[in-house]
Amino acid sequence: MRITIPGIVRLAWLSDPDEVVAANASGVVQRSLSGLGGLVQRSIAAKLAVFQKSDGDIWPAFRDRADRLRSDRQKELENALAKTQGLLKRVAPETSALAAYVRTGSTNRPPEIIVQQMVGRLFFSDYAASEESYDAACALQTWVSGGPIKSYLLKLSGELERSLDLIVTLSRGDTSCAHATAIAMHNLVDTIERMRRLARARDNLQKLSPQEAIASTLRAPNQVVRETRDAGHVCGMHLGARTLVVLRLECARRQKPDAGIEFFAKGWNQCPAHAIVPALLADVWKKAKAGAA
Amino acid sequence: MSRENDGFEFHPTGLQRLLDASYRVINFFVRWDRLPTLIGAFNIAAFRDRLRAHNLHHTGYGVDSAGEWKPGYERWRSADGSYNCLAHPRMGMARTRFGRNVPLTEAVPETDEALLEPSPRVISRELLARHEFIAASSLNLLAAAWIQFEIHNWFSHGPPQSGNEFKVPLPRGDDWPQKERFDGCMHIQRTARDKSTREPWLGAAPTFRNFNSHWWDAGQLYGHDHATQMKIRSRHDGKIRLVRDRDREMLPEDPDSKGVDFTGFNDNWWIGLAVLHNLFAFEHNAICDALKSAYPEWNDEELFQHARLINGALIAKIHTVEWTPGILAHPVLQFGMAAQWSGAPQRWLHLLLGEDNEVSRGIPGSATDQHSAPYAMTEEFTAVYRMHPLLPDTVRIHSLKVKGDKPKALKGSKPITLNFVDVQGPVTRGLMKDHGFANVLYSLGIQNPGALCIRNYPNFLRQFKKAARRGDPNIPLMDMAAVDIMRDRERGVPRYNRFRELLGKTRVTSFEEITSSPDIADKMREIYKDVDRVDLLVGLMAEDPPKGFGFSDTTFRAFILMASRRLKSDRFFTDDFRPEIYTELGMDWIQNNSMKSVLLRHFPELGQALEGVKNSFSPWNVVAEQ
Repeated sequence: MRITIPGIVRLAWLSDPDEVVAANASGVVQRSLSGLGGLVQRSIAAKLAVFQKSDGDIWPAFRDRADRLRSDRQKELENALAKTQGLLKRVAPETSALAAYVRTGSTNRPPEIIVQQMVGRLFFSDYAASEESYDAACALQTWVSGGPIKSYLLKLSGELERSLDLIVTLSRGDTSCAHATAIAMHNLVDTIERMRRLARARDNLQKLSPQEAIASTLRAPNQVVRETRDAGHVCGMHLGARTLVVLRLECARRQKPDAGIEFFAKGWNQCPAHAIVPALLADVWKKAKAGAA
Repeated sequence: MSRENDGFEFHPTGLQRLLDASYRVINFFVRWDRLPTLIGAFNIAAFRDRLRAHNLHHTGYGVDSAGEWKPGYERWRSADGSYNCLAHPRMGMARTRFGRNVPLTEAVPETDEALLEPSPRVISRELLARHEFIAASSLNLLAAAWIQFEIHNWFSHGPPQSGNEFKVPLPRGDDWPQKERFDGCMHIQRTARDKSTREPWLGAAPTFRNFNSHWWDAGQLYGHDHATQMKIRSRHDGKIRLVRDRDREMLPEDPDSKGVDFTGFNDNWWIGLAVLHNLFAFEHNAICDALKSAYPEWNDEELFQHARLINGALIAKIHTVEWTPGILAHPVLQFGMAAQWSGAPQRWLHLLLGEDNEVSRGIPGSATDQHSAPYAMTEEFTAVYRMHPLLPDTVRIHSLKVKGDKPKALKGSKPITLNFVDVQGPVTRGLMKDHGFANVLYSLGIQNPGALCIRNYPNFLRQFKKAARRGDPNIPLMDMAAVDIMRDRERGVPRYNRFRELLGKTRVTSFEEITSSPDIADKMREIYKDVDRVDLLVGLMAEDPPKGFGFSDTTFRAFILMASRRLKSDRFFTDDFRPEIYTELGMDWIQNNSMKSVLLRHFPELGQALEGVKNSFSPWNVVAEQ
């Protein structure tokens, strides 16, 4: 679907899995947003710009394909996160606590804080999440996906800046860790919540294998936003210059669950956590199952 | 270091905001060049402020330190441009990186297959090649030489690197010599890589380094390092070293480059550069003589450094108030460029804006300001200065002396016509000696350069063999038109349409919006298919310029920003443009001289040719046999 209102917005939503994959792979579509093309573009680009300035570094999700530092870091992180057994051992206390939550629906600490700590400890073994750090992650998530009034208030109150500072400090300047503990973790929190609901319904916990549980609870991020710098074609579709291209990932994943859209599998921007996330979730489900037995 | 342009920010005043908003409305209805002169000039000022706020982007320095501080740097220019900005001593020094006029995320080259599309060779043949010489009738060839004299050191990316060349497939029927083909392709060397440590905030934007100083410091005469500068100097009375040849002095020969003069920067040498480098070497020495008379106690160093400052400022002034209005013959620019140097003459403007405002007093002497990024030349400014169509394919050498003692080469003969390749490189020095400076100057003064337009790229440059310096590897045959296209592409300079947009103009939606020539529009459509793919150089040359302009309005947008920036950012043109630094004599010298007075001081025999000529870059009087 496409909308063009001159001076306001030029927008294209892509939901078809093939189109989403093709647009992601195409050189026509870029990650960085210029803010040109309309007021909507300007407002979204201004929001995302905060992740390109913090601490003199650019957050990984905003680095473009041709960025060599992105590919180097992505490879490095992918290798580090591929050591799943060691990492699972490192975050065993967190996965056990989440397993208990999935099984019983209650934990000593809020599960979202445990998720944040688990994610953080994939990077630093002593990462300590807290209510404040989780609130900071929520503030950043609201900044990215919330409405204009909420965003304005976040900025006006200084909470946006405080949240960014806290997340970056806890991540010791590592932008991959910052991204994971502030933005990417929310998807895991939602997945754990869905696991809990799945476990409580009938005898699912005993019946379903970890892979089945993951398949029915893991989702892709709802959407990601890209931009065309110049006019071009994607899958035979003409996109004008400065079109905001919204890739509706979850919608595309539902149509083609095996395409690996949730992690941009085999794409240039394949999520470095594509192996560890399913492993973590499987561990949580397995432990929950074992606890129930 | 933050990526926030090293801490520099542009803070517009209330008046600037008001002007910006007003002109956005006005320009919705009327283009700036159709406004009355004063209103148009303020329109340009509003554009400039907008560009200062949004179009200056730091890419890091690329060097770790500015080198050792030496006494005197507070009063005069260092050889390599360091310590011009005392708080940021690396700014603008030799070997620092080129900056950008577009956001770094927009300065990303396309991937390899798109990078070669469409073929730069096809563009060279079909769109750029000169079919017949199109003259710029309001200018003389000295104007072409001047711009090269000004910029040839300024944008020095260093020698291109061999290995991993771009392989440009040659279409059937291409006349590219067989022995220069590699697997059916033409090779184009890449720009030398910047091997310095990259800052993480650079993203995917490539960086390149300027081998020379970025400042407007006459480095083409004085060199960009101390060792070279000491070789250029005579070490006596502050003067530049000259050698006597026949009846007059001239710069010595470069021991590493046969037939080329030894000076600060002598790449791409031809008679046009030779006359200007020599002319301003003579001017330097004349300034030294005047300073020596006024300050007899000064040593060689004091005399040299002061003469350099004065000579450099005089060159900048000539460029600002003579060359630029010469090529941009529009009333707004006539007013604007004079105001840029000396301030607006209207008294009420001084009262309205304040005496210290750069519009009231001119940039020289106003407060230094880097605006939103540390000063550096930019890749985009380099790109818009690709002005090879100014060069003709032939040069006619005339003799001023109708009777009597003609120089040897002209004795008993009519003026001679030489191919451009025969007035450049190793033969240059010999030609200068044979014909004499005054004759060459006169010859350049009465000929027109080429117009900066499509299908006017000199053909000799489209199959050009450049002489290598002694000890350097041979340079392969080049199609400079194709090289120009590839340089912009590989450096991530946006193509024409996006470049327009990023510099504050609207995108065009059809080829006919670029040019009024249906033939050119059709050819561009055939080659590019999509208007967004048009290369910057092609778009700039094809674009219909405003009335009186020698180049396109899009080119001009980059000039509005960068031409004033090279003055406004430089301490020696702003905070330190004062008698305590330049001396009273120096300030007077700059104030009272022009290109014409410099020419006449050193070549009085040009008097008749220059009589009544208001701008030395417009055609001179014809006074010799034709």
